[in-house]
Parts: sequence; structure tokens; C-alpha cells
Amino acid sequence: MATVLYHGEPNGPSLSVLAALAETGLDIECRSIDLLAGERHSLPGLGETIARDMGIEGEGPVLVVDGEAMTESVFLAQYLDEKAGGVGLQPSDPYAHWEMMMWCRQITERLSPAAALLGNLKYSTPRLAETSDADFAVIGKNIVSDDLRGRWGLVRSGTTEEAQLADSRAKVVQSVERCENKLADGRDWLMGDFSIADLETYAWLAGMQLICPDAFGDAPKTKAWLARVKARPSVVAALARSTVADPLESWAPGPEINRWG
Amino acid sequence: MSDITLYHWEPNANSGKPMLALMEKGVVFNSHYIDMLQFDQHKPEYLAINPQGTIPAMTHGTRVLVESTAIMEYVNEEFAGPELMPANVEDRWRVRWWMKFMDQWLAPSFSMIGWSVSVGPMVRKRDLAELEAAIDRIPMPERRISWRKAIYGTFSEAEMAESQRRVALGVRLLEEELGKREWLASDEYSLADINGFNLAYALPLSQPHLSNDELTPNILRWLRAIYARPAVKKCWALGRTDMAKRVSILEKEHI
Ligand SMILES: N[C@@H](CCC(=O)N[C@@H](CS)C(=O)NCC(=O)O)C(=O)O
Repeated sequence: MATVLYHGEPNGPSLSVLAALAETGLDIECRSIDLLAGERHSLPGLGETIARDMGIEGEGPVLVVDGEAMTESVFLAQYLDEKAGGVGLQPSDPYAHWEMMMWCRQITERLSPAAALLGNLKYSTPRLAETSDADFAVIGKNIVSDDLRGRWGLVRSGTTEEAQLADSRAKVVQSVERCENKLADGRDWLMGDFSIADLETYAWLAGMQLICPDAFGDAPKTKAWLARVKARPSVVAALARSTVADPLESWAPGPEINRWG
Repeated sequence: MSDITLYHWEPNANSGKPMLALMEKGVVFNSHYIDMLQFDQHKPEYLAINPQGTIPAMTHGTRVLVESTAIMEYVNEEFAGPELMPANVEDRWRVRWWMKFMDQWLAPSFSMIGWSVSVGPMVRKRDLAELEAAIDRIPMPERRISWRKAIYGTFSEAEMAESQRRVALGVRLLEEELGKREWLASDEYSLADINGFNLAYALPLSQPHLSNDELTPNILRWLRAIYARPAVKKCWALGRTDMAKRVSILEKEHI
């Protein structure tokens, strides 16, 4: 089976999937693409594109298996774990599994839209503002989803409301608090055993240290946990794929902020 | 007496997902009906189970579980009975992908339309002071805003138009996907079908211009095949309002 993982710089969803892949030891070809140049929307050899086009995550990595584009970092990490026959990235006990999925859902539904908004405003808006209207129109033409294209436009123009910024910062603070509470009993990893929850949370939170440093001021356990995750060989290997000075400064349009319940 | 209790409203949307999953597994459970239109979900007895004040929730012994799709996955893994996740790893990924797409992209748009055209008008007739007091008891601020919009009918034209656009596109994408295989995400009936049925069972009634035997033959084939399952009959029999009765549209030979 022809399998290729197309990924951006190791930050956000690309980081969690690259690290999950390294945890499994599977031999899958990885190709680095420039997400902010719109390269995700012109990948070669795709038959089934719906997951690339309509994924909730926005500009996350794309795993192509026999022409089918597969997306959503948590599900890709689960897929890799299961493909490798279960390397322990997900608890086998159903209740512990439910807890891990609930945790990841909090991260992908609450933290990731907030982090993507803040990260893109700081790092992607300046770069896209330099893109000519003609080049930006070419990127837009390849994007199938109207709402994702709309989010690209917002990133380029840098339009946001103060209330949304404040809400996003509050969500980062809440996520750090949740980590601090989980780690309060002295555990090393969020769910007890190391799992996809550590990778997904790290991937969205690590960059927030540059943007909302205050959120981490009172969170010694979270800071120690971030350092532990960063030192995992799988995360070290993922970060080594970076082609830029600091991958924490690499962002691309992410999930939308919930529009209804 | 079972040590499993499901707190649910009608077999519809989020409540219907774990109800049907339990029925398909053949798990015996206590059904605890929460009347959403009477705001039972914000009463102290229920908030003690789920402080978020949303339905469904399930207790299993001392465990408390929330979030409809995650509850279904727990039900499938925890209890004996027919397997509701495929064995093939690509198929498993596809089940999860479609459930997230429906839960987070498509269902919220269906729900906004439903709240605007049916939930709001059903509740609106009551005493306004009582309704305001009920809104004040809602724990999540986002939900207070949603309920106000539903009760006062103040959804903006732009947000309704965007929801309509998503529903129309979502129906088209579902139709295409169901043209590729027998069930939504794999060649076997799975949690994705249970999820999708709860979203779409009344589609030919609520969006007749988008879904019927001519326009969306695959969706209609799929809805009828799910409706034919004994678990679905048992599940929809737990409905108490006209909302659940809409499912009988699927008995018509031609829609
Ligand atoms: N994501 C949750 C959402 C639960 C939810 O919002 N349920 C709705 C009914 S379908 C509800 O409780 N609405 C009443 C309210 O918010 O007051 C799930 O899937 O279980």
C-alpha cells in the first residue's frame, strides 16, 4: 500500500502526528510541505479528497493511503497506533479510553481554535500580508471549502475582535489550569500512562509559551510536563524535521471557533 | 435492575446516539427521560450528574459519562454484543472522521435550524418571566445565548443562511459518500451509521427540497435500511413527542 504523510513544520497537528508516527516505529514516508503556501491543497495522486477538503482541523497533516486523504490529528494518531498493532498510545480499558477521548476533545474543540487564532495572528498574518493578491487568489482557488477559505482570508487581513482575543487567551489559561489539575497528584503523563493526549496537548500548548507566557506563570507542574514531553525521543525526532529556526512560530489556518453549541 | 442509566430526551440528535448504540448491543439499561422543553437538564438533580446541563449522560455503576459520540464508543468497547466498529484500521479512521464531521460541522447547522423553526416556537408560548428564570439557571453562558435566540427568534439572517448552506452541502456530501459503499464509513454497519441516522432520519421531511428519492437515492436507501433494524424500532418507541414520530416517513415506498 502506498502511504505518504504530508506534514507542515512540527507544530500543532503536524507535530502530534509526526511524534505519534515515531512512537509506533512504522516505516511511512514523510514529506514536508509549506502549509502557508497552500501546498496542502495541491497534493499529487489523491483520489478521495473529502477529508482533506472538509476536515474540521483546518491545515493539519494529510496521510494519504492508496489515494485516500486522511486527516484529523487525533484520529491519525489512533490510526497509526492501531496500524502498528497497538503500541500503547491509547488505553485499552474502555473507561480510560473514554477519558482520553474526552480530554482530546477538549483540546481540539476549545484549545486548538484559540491557539490557532493567536498563533496565526502573530506569525502567519505578517507573512500572508506580503503575499500578492494574485498569489493569494491562486491559493484560494485550490481550497474547496468556503469556510476554510474564509478563515485564510481572516488570517491574511488580521481581522479579529478584541472579545475574541480575550476569549482565546482565556481558553489557553483554562487549558493550562486543566493540565495543572491533572498533574497535581504527581503523575508524569496526563492520563497516567503516556498517550495521544500528551502529544495532542503538547502540540497545541507548546507554542502558547511564546504568545501567552503569563498563562504558565503559576503552573510549575505543567512546565515540567512540557519539558518531559519535549524530551521524548519521538518528539525529538519530530522536531528534528523542522526546516525553520523555531517551529513554534509556524502556524496555518486552524479550526473555526464554535459557531453554535 | 441494571447498573446502567441513560439520561436522554427524544431519540433524536445527541440523545438518540447512545440510546440506539445500547439497543444495538442488546444492553439492558434504565431509561431516564429528561424533558428538554421543560428544562429538566438544568435542574439540580440532573446538574448533579452533568454539571454542564446538557443531555445525554450515562451512569455505569459509579462512572459518569457524557458526550454522545464518546459514550457510544464506550458502550461499544465495554459491553458484549455485536461489534459496532469495523476491524479494518482505515475503516475505523473513517468512522471517526465522519462522526467528527457530523458532530462539529453538520449537526450544529441542523440544530440551529431546528431550534429556530421548532424548539423556539414550542417553548415561546410560555410565560416570559418563567422562561427568563429558566434561562438564568443554564450553567453554560454559550447556551444561555442560544436559548435566548431560540426563544426570542433572534437568529441573524447571516447565521441562518450559513446553516442552510452547510446543510445543503452536507446532504450532497453524504449522498456522494453513500454512493461509494453500503454504509456510511465502511462495508459494515457502524457507530457512524447510528450517528448519521440520528442526524438525518427526518431529512426528507425537514428538507424535502434537498432530500428525496430522486435527488438523494443513496441517502434514502441508507435511511430505510437503518429504519428496518429491530433496535431502531425499539429505540424510537421511547419517543414521547411528535418529533420522534417523524421517523415513520421512512415507511413510505416513495418519498
Ligand atoms: N456535544 C454534546 C452536546 C450535548 C447537547 O448539546 N445536547 C443538547 C440536546 S441534543 C442539549 O442538551 N440541549 C439543551 C440545552 O443546552 O439546554 C453531545 O454530543 O453529547
